[in-house]
Amino acid sequence: MRKLLGITMFLVSLVVQVQAQTKEVTGKITDETGVAIANASVTIKGSSKGTATKTDGTFSLNVPENTKSVVVSAVGFEEKEVLLTGSPLTITLKAAEGKRLEEVIVTGYGSKIKREITSSISKVSSREFSNLPLPSFEQALQGRASGVFINSGSGKLGQGLNIRVRGISSISANQQPFVVIDGVPVVSQSLGSNTEPDNPLATINPDDIESIEVLKDAASAAIYGSRASNGVLLITTKSGKMGRTKVNAGIFTGWSNPTRKGQFLNATQYRKLFTAAAENAGWDPEEEFAFETGTDDWNSTNDVNWADQAFQKGYVRQYNASLTGGDLRTKFLVSASYNDQKGIILANRLTRGTFRLNIDHSLNSTFKFGTNIALNQSDNYAVPSDNAFSNPLQLNAIPPLHPLRDENGLYNQATLYYNNLIEREGNNLTLNKTYRSISNAYAEVNFNKNLRFRSQVGIDWNNLQENQFLGRRTLDGAPDGYSYSNQVTAYVFTNTNTLSFNKTYGLNHSVDGLAGIEYQKGQTSGASVTGLAFPNDKFTKIASAAIISAGSSSETGFRFMSYFARANYKYKDRYLLGVSYRVDGSSRFGADNRYGSFPAASVGWIISEEDFLKNSKTLSFLKLRSSYGITGNAEIGNFGARSLYQAAAYANISGMVTTQIGDEKLKWENTKQFDIGLDFGLFNNRISGEIDYFEKNTKNLLLNVPTPAINGYTAITKNVGDMINRGFEFVVNANVLNGKFRWNTSFNISTYVNKVTRLIAPVSPSSRTLGRLAVGAPFGQFYGKKYMGVDPDNGDALYMGADGKPTNDYAAAVDTVVGNPNPDFYGGWNNRFSYKSFDLDIQCQFVKGGDLYNIAGFFQSVNGDYFDNQTVDQMNYWTEDNRNTNIPQPRLYEGNGAGKSSRWVQDGSYFRIKSVNFGYNFPKKMLAPMKIESARVYISGTNLFTFTKYTGYDPEVNTQYVSNVNLGHDFYTPPQARTIAIGINIGL
Amino acid sequence: MKLRNKSLILIAFLTITGFISCTKVLDVNPQQSIDASKALENDQDVNSLVVGAYSVMGGGSLYGTNLLMIPDLLGSDGVCTWRGTFQSPRQIANKTMLRDNADANLTWTEAYRAINLANIVLENLDIVKDEDLKTQLEGEALFIRGILHFELIRLYALPYGATAGNTHPGVVIKTKATKNEANAFEVLPRNNVQEVYTQVLADLTAAVDLLPEENGVRATKYTALAFLSRVYLQQGNYEAARDAANEVIESGYFKMNASITAVFDNKNTAESVWEIQQNEQNNAGTSNNGMATFYASLPGIGRADVRISTGYPSNYPVGDLRRSEWYYFGTGARPGNLYCGKWKSFSQNLPIVRLAEMYLTRAECNVRLSTSVGASPGEDLEMVRNSVRTNSTASSDPTLNEILNERFIELAFEGQRIHDLRRLRRSTGAFAWNSDRLVFPIPQREVDATSGVLVQNPGY
Repeated sequence: MRKLLGITMFLVSLVVQVQAQTKEVTGKITDETGVAIANASVTIKGSSKGTATKTDGTFSLNVPENTKSVVVSAVGFEEKEVLLTGSPLTITLKAAEGKRLEEVIVTGYGSKIKREITSSISKVSSREFSNLPLPSFEQALQGRASGVFINSGSGKLGQGLNIRVRGISSISANQQPFVVIDGVPVVSQSLGSNTEPDNPLATINPDDIESIEVLKDAASAAIYGSRASNGVLLITTKSGKMGRTKVNAGIFTGWSNPTRKGQFLNATQYRKLFTAAAENAGWDPEEEFAFETGTDDWNSTNDVNWADQAFQKGYVRQYNASLTGGDLRTKFLVSASYNDQKGIILANRLTRGTFRLNIDHSLNSTFKFGTNIALNQSDNYAVPSDNAFSNPLQLNAIPPLHPLRDENGLYNQATLYYNNLIEREGNNLTLNKTYRSISNAYAEVNFNKNLRFRSQVGIDWNNLQENQFLGRRTLDGAPDGYSYSNQVTAYVFTNTNTLSFNKTYGLNHSVDGLAGIEYQKGQTSGASVTGLAFPNDKFTKIASAAIISAGSSSETGFRFMSYFARANYKYKDRYLLGVSYRVDGSSRFGADNRYGSFPAASVGWIISEEDFLKNSKTLSFLKLRSSYGITGNAEIGNFGARSLYQAAAYANISGMVTTQIGDEKLKWENTKQFDIGLDFGLFNNRISGEIDYFEKNTKNLLLNVPTPAINGYTAITKNVGDMINRGFEFVVNANVLNGKFRWNTSFNISTYVNKVTRLIAPVSPSSRTLGRLAVGAPFGQFYGKKYMGVDPDNGDALYMGADGKPTNDYAAAVDTVVGNPNPDFYGGWNNRFSYKSFDLDIQCQFVKGGDLYNIAGFFQSVNGDYFDNQTVDQMNYWTEDNRNTNIPQPRLYEGNGAGKSSRWVQDGSYFRIKSVNFGYNFPKKMLAPMKIESARVYISGTNLFTFTKYTGYDPEVNTQYVSNVNLGHDFYTPPQARTIAIGINIGL
Repeated sequence: MKLRNKSLILIAFLTITGFISCTKVLDVNPQQSIDASKALENDQDVNSLVVGAYSVMGGGSLYGTNLLMIPDLLGSDGVCTWRGTFQSPRQIANKTMLRDNADANLTWTEAYRAINLANIVLENLDIVKDEDLKTQLEGEALFIRGILHFELIRLYALPYGATAGNTHPGVVIKTKATKNEANAFEVLPRNNVQEVYTQVLADLTAAVDLLPEENGVRATKYTALAFLSRVYLQQGNYEAARDAANEVIESGYFKMNASITAVFDNKNTAESVWEIQQNEQNNAGTSNNGMATFYASLPGIGRADVRISTGYPSNYPVGDLRRSEWYYFGTGARPGNLYCGKWKSFSQNLPIVRLAEMYLTRAECNVRLSTSVGASPGEDLEMVRNSVRTNSTASSDPTLNEILNERFIELAFEGQRIHDLRRLRRSTGAFAWNSDRLVFPIPQREVDATSGVLVQNPGY
């Protein structure tokens, strides 16, 4: 048969050759599911002559008569050589799974295959985080994206996270990355009125996301100009696929517990410690307890574990469904989801309902239109600030001797500190509702296969409604009830117009380019009102308030006008060059500095294409790349450059005063970043990886420069500070086992070393905190008195004196460096196993170094200095029979060991099994009769185990009520949740 | 390229250039504040700025608290003690101020902030179309600039008369508005005490001529005259002090209240020459600032930080209503101790100049000069102490000391004590009238911000 075919071919070719010397080959290229592949290249083997497929996957190519085969390649697919066995050809390409080098990476205003990328970009795709109960999608980056350090801050749902890309690049401006969703820059900063930031990104459905790219170096980020110094997160949502309409539906449900609860004294221990403390200081414990608490509970039989009262059993439930499909001209995706998470902290709950419609439509081969519409709503039943007496975690300060409830069965009000369980009674409520739409529409004109124009408008519309009611028994609601209502609407409108070009010249030269213009307008407005005095706690709305005690409205805005261009050049498939340039104009910048320019350049050399490596069996891919460029940070406030007047009332007369004198040269903070990296692949890319070194040199940091007050102003905000971040990133991926039992593993580790190099004046720690800024020191360095344990002779707390020797005189102790909250290194280790129909994902995350300071130590781990309940380790206090201890002798009210010091500084290193997902895929044979295409059941666990020496609730902590200089501070901060969930996904 | 494609490119670029042509696109104006370039455009705007200067003066760093409380803390020996936890007033009461004393810093900063507002008004008078308003605003601005320089020179420099010719360092005379960043960094040295007094007198004298006789709750001609009498008195120019006080009294606009509490409990009473206006929403403070905040010990009101010395009320005659009405045993914070009853409400107005002071000044000067301009010293004293007002009687032919004593007890805890002690060259406790320890430090931040051009006071 084969022989016959060969002869036929020979004969056919002979005939054709006689006729024209060339022949036309036509065909269609599809993926394994039959979906056409557009823009796939078809070249004659051994020649540069070729063509690309149209959007319907078809091609036609004139080839010399003697051509035997063509090479077909497409981004994301394995290359294939096809024998010309007739025309039209039907060619099916296999998806290039696991071949990370062929992966498509989304870049600013475009995309590129990983192999050709000369900048540093981390990508996390949906497969890695689907089916996990993520409170917010950014958490998917944790431990997965190198160079991205994420600290969730606390286990509060809906709270802002700290995301730092390649270190810390600002002091007074924003430190968070710029977030762009499908080309639309979105509001990612807190809008709420709480002292702790909320997270507007928590309204976005993680299941709608196809991939998250983190632009880390200047070459990738500088196309975003003055917004890019903190890195850029590019979120791409899923889009419709041509072919049969597919339905995917999923449901999961799970249960949550705190990763750890605090261990506090029980009644017996409490009495023992405080008896010792009082007697050592010459007091009577019972009298003092009665005096301080106003109760005679000292001799009660109560033994209440108040610390545990802060928690509840949490749950998570999610229902989601999506519909995708399309034909040659129209593709669509419709998705809807509902997610309901009940937090582990009392009253904390976050619900999220989302709807999405993504449509792309080709009018003809020239015009294409599309729109992405997302409507999201979330309800956040928020937890108070860590510093509030109403924070449930602060319950752990209440002595176990107080009863939980009073004789009427209501929560007991007669406690040492506010029993905030009272806020769980009746109608008390803190509910923040968010309504949000992040949508865009675009039109594309393909003038020819080389030139394309695209215009996009995008809107991010975000409405936050905060409502709080506190009844008369609560601390802030007394005496007659308190109600607060606040509405904030933030919207950002963006119009982007780009012209893109790509062409291959001859065999060796390939060029692509982009030129664009972008306009952005942002506005935030709000109104709030506070009402007091309600007839009873059944009335909660301000309409029922007797006193309207406060009201305000506000509005602020900004605009950007930007021009940008980019060009990439590739020579001989191995030498790569990229340049980009952006000019940003912004209303935020001073009149003398309205426009900033942000150039970047990068080079790449695919060494493995060189002759001397081309045939290497071991080294299958090796690329050296380097980039340098300038980015900015424009989150400097909207009107910092202005001289302003503001209203000022004099009793009942309204007046006005000057508030600020502006620097007309005020501008963005400027970061020059150098990056050098190596991408490698071994053993036919079974092992691949990346190594990067970066150096970020930030100048023009915003700082307040003191002016002589005789001129009526004390400071002007100017661009005067400098800071450096340096670090390494290392990623290795391996396809360890490839048989029936498959094991893919990916490991990443990153470092950054931050150093402040110029300041106007050092920023010293406040009376409670340790974080400082000083020239030569890392951001947030811990600076304070050094605790040196206990004098075995007398139980005195010891601190380091000026001579370096211990002293029991706190005042004589010197301030010194007592820690660094920045991690030495951090990273993740992800494993994917599969065997037959089973699959297992294990993701781990780790941080080494990163000191933590427990501010609350002053209250809860202070050997019974005051009547706050103490952590159990305090029982090891100094006595004459227990001299070698780290816990000073308890002395009520005397402050033995109570001064702010390194006593409460601990190593915050941890290793966490962040998520485990074990699934079973039902065999197709079994599903086919039910008309089901796929079905997977799974069980997942989040934060299953944490290995740490930190004795507090959770080492992943960053209380947010203190200023941003105070990294790694803990203050009654709730821990993360451990969640076990089961779920099922069905595809029809 | 096909024609169609060319036209498409054209359309595309027209779209793009459409944006470029909007040159004003980056001009976004603040909504909660007004840009300086648009702030002063008409009569009303300049008038608002003057009101703004009053609001700054009413703040806790100036007349809202500090200018009334600090002189009494400096002269606290044997009179009152600071019991609060705030370190800054504690240092003042103990005369152990540090270079970074918070109140020394705030009072300096806020005084110059208000002076700058006054200077902006003076440099923008051309905007004001209404001639009467223009004259009034100029008068108010000069008044504000004058009295604040006067308050500063009394706190931040050795007293008038400490050197012959008063050539010792005073404060910076600031008569130019800060309009831009370059102005904000300008550095001026300290003028000497004589120069500052000369400037204060020039400003206040001009203000007397410009200000109207009636001006609602704002400064009038007589407010300026009342301050002029204070300045002259501080200089020992008794004739001028007497005449200025006399003019205030003779104006007929003011009258002693029958009740000694009315001037504190009610707003803008007849006895009040000038007072700082406060209400429930706008006042110097209810927790960290405010006269009632620091002085009161009432349920829910006050920190009870200034405790009156137990023996102090005995300076009043037995049966004198001031002894019983102006002092009480606390019932709020730190209960049971003695507190001053002049300051009992967060929203009360704060009398800065009372007619009683004018009578006492005129009486003192008449005694010193052996004159009886306006009235005899005995008659003036009678206006302050009489059977109706105080339930006590005054000497009909008082000595200087009797008048001075009356001045101390009548104006107690109203911010006069240390200034009177120093002009009388009397000590407070162990501190002589010209002790360096009674002089505030120039705020260290100010010395730093001027790279030392502002020379620090001795002892800091």
